[in-house]
Amino acid sequence: MFKYIKQYAESIANVGVYPIISLLIFFLFFIVLLVMVKRMKKDRVAELSRIPLDNEEVTTPTL
Amino acid sequence: MQVEKFYYDNKIVKNFAYATIFWGAIGMLVGLWVSLQLVFPQLNITQYGSFGRLRPLHTNAVIFAFVGNGIFMGVYYSLQRLCKARMFSDKLSYIHFWGWQLIIVAAAITLPLGLTNGAEYAELIWPIDFAITIIWVVFGWNMFGTIIKRREKHLYVAIWFYIATFVTVAVLHIVRSGELPYTWLKSYSWYSGVQDALVQWWYGHNAVAFFLTTPYLGLMYYFLPKAANRPVYSYRLSIIHFWSLIFLYIWAGPHHLLYTALPNWAQSLGIVFSVMLIFPSWGGMINGLLTLRGAWDRVRDDVVLKFMVVAVTAYGMATFEGPMLSLKSVSAISHYTDWIIAHVHVGALGWNGMLTFGVLYWLIPRIFKTPLHSKKLASRHFWLATLGILFYTIPMYWAGIQQSLMWKQFTEAGQLKYTFLETVTYMKPFYAMRSLGGTLYLLGVFVMFYNIYKTVKAGKLVANEEAEAAPIIKEEVAHKGEHWHRWIERRPVQMMIVALVVILIGGIIELVPTFLIKSNVPTISSVKPYTPLELQGRDIYVREGCYTCHSQMIRPFRSETERYGEYSKAGEFVYDHPFQWGSKRIGPDLAREGSGNLKKSDGWHFRHLREPSSMSEGSIMPPYAFMIEQNLDTSLTVGKIKAMQTLGVPYPKGYEYQANSDLMMQANSVRINLKIEGIQVSANKEIIALIAYLQRMGTDISKQQTVSQNK
Repeated sequence: MFKYIKQYAESIANVGVYPIISLLIFFLFFIVLLVMVKRMKKDRVAELSRIPLDNEEVTTPTL
Repeated sequence: MQVEKFYYDNKIVKNFAYATIFWGAIGMLVGLWVSLQLVFPQLNITQYGSFGRLRPLHTNAVIFAFVGNGIFMGVYYSLQRLCKARMFSDKLSYIHFWGWQLIIVAAAITLPLGLTNGAEYAELIWPIDFAITIIWVVFGWNMFGTIIKRREKHLYVAIWFYIATFVTVAVLHIVRSGELPYTWLKSYSWYSGVQDALVQWWYGHNAVAFFLTTPYLGLMYYFLPKAANRPVYSYRLSIIHFWSLIFLYIWAGPHHLLYTALPNWAQSLGIVFSVMLIFPSWGGMINGLLTLRGAWDRVRDDVVLKFMVVAVTAYGMATFEGPMLSLKSVSAISHYTDWIIAHVHVGALGWNGMLTFGVLYWLIPRIFKTPLHSKKLASRHFWLATLGILFYTIPMYWAGIQQSLMWKQFTEAGQLKYTFLETVTYMKPFYAMRSLGGTLYLLGVFVMFYNIYKTVKAGKLVANEEAEAAPIIKEEVAHKGEHWHRWIERRPVQMMIVALVVILIGGIIELVPTFLIKSNVPTISSVKPYTPLELQGRDIYVREGCYTCHSQMIRPFRSETERYGEYSKAGEFVYDHPFQWGSKRIGPDLAREGSGNLKKSDGWHFRHLREPSSMSEGSIMPPYAFMIEQNLDTSLTVGKIKAMQTLGVPYPKGYEYQANSDLMMQANSVRINLKIEGIQVSANKEIIALIAYLQRMGTDISKQQTVSQNK
């Protein structure tokens, strides 16, 4: 199996195209991420961001 | 809903807190010592205390012992509270803690003994690598166990960073530890030359990313809101920060190899992603700093916030500088110089150090239920640390740029203006100033040590802290229209798999073609495997950590080809397991040490290794006189040749049994050369092997030129 991949990969002609492909993958990923995050509901976001603060123990005077 | 009562395990947090303080002090002390060795070379005491062996000890101690224990301290504290659950298993916590400390002790013993893999930040020998894998799995198991039995439905952003850290470090460690053992302690890297270099810096850079950065960002997202007592500025931004950071980081490694023999497309890939990295990094920094909106007045009085603000600012500076250093034109100037040392210390002292201190000052009084012993001392620590960073980095920035300019300076007649040695001696005052900065920083750590000691004495550890929470109602079936991220957020395993896929895309696209495509490493017919004696000499070179000061990679600049000879080609390194390109030139490049203008006699090398300053006045290189006394261990030759054959180095079949007689023959010829120069030494000494290796360096390619000229 690996042999076949290797044979094929050894002869990839324009390896220079790799950076472009990678950039495109990231770009698409990022756009999808942005859209999804934009669509999150406001109250939900507020609730999530309070997770560390909600379980506040009895506060100790630290300083 | 019935609330459940449970207890947070604070004892494990305390253990890791003590460990981070203890190893932090040790790691920085070793750092101070090696910095002084560059000013006073006589501090290279015995072979076990030479710079080449101690600098890896410093870097490993700071990264894996100081920051490592810092990560675990913060994770074990925050994870329990974010999950509203005790750690999954006290036993696993215990194994994790002591296992990690044992690994550190093993590192502290083996590195001075010269047991090393010769790859930066991956120096530890294979049995220790194996132990790290096991302990890392224990950590992951404990973490996932806790997440699964949690009482809080959603995974807060800090936990995503912990999950990404766990999975990526595992991948990095396994790939980088690809090595073939030839004894119980030693091994050769599976990869060679250009491929080894790419794996190394893919690993090295991501060790920075996923060991020094992502877990600490997780800590920032938990402890900064806690200390400021307000939620993070933008939770939406934190989601974007997380995903784009882990996606981009994994590609950035090749920026450590600009203008080297690495294929050009891989260099470009590294540059593009490194430059883009500025956005998520600064997104995170801004998110951290803006969390303090409306609370800035408190920064004046609250020492915890002071530490955290400097930490986040240092993170911002380092992650602005990183992308800039990744530009080819900037790298041309900065690479191999002390500029990089300044850059990494902004990260280590500023970001990791200051955040660790902030967390310690916040956390210790809480788990000991007592106020901090002295606010004033903590403030003194803050100023010592901040000034320490400035006194450290400013001289190093200056030195780095100066160094680079001197290396590249030509006279009007077109000759190099400075010898390498002149540039070294010029650096000494800067190295001394840097040591002063380091001393200030370390003094601060001692002040903290005292302050925390007094605090601990005054309080009593709440080993099991009581807490209450309602269990999660099991309604795991996704309802229609549920938000995708909420779906991942609730499921840690899915989260891990998605994070794994994201980082693997980068790793695979970058690494696989370099391994498979033949044209990436054009072969040079005159490049032949090392002779057995040279191979042994090379292993001594690796053992002594020569790569900590000497590069073996001449970049295609006139200033370098004039000084060192023909620039390095990918095909020259095909038999180098591991590669030894290095990343810093405290001493000159050695890639062509045995050829052209750089060629010196065997006697010169002998005298230079015995007492470097006798041949190069003002040299700061440690003496290697012990190699004249120590016998070369030829019992390993057979095993070494066999291992090399397995790795694909074309020694003839059965050569391993002839190797030692060839070795002695070559050693005798070196001995005779030395005798002619008036030096009496027997042929079976280590120095003979090292000289043979140094004389071989960079010669293969000139043989090719001779052949083609004869045609």
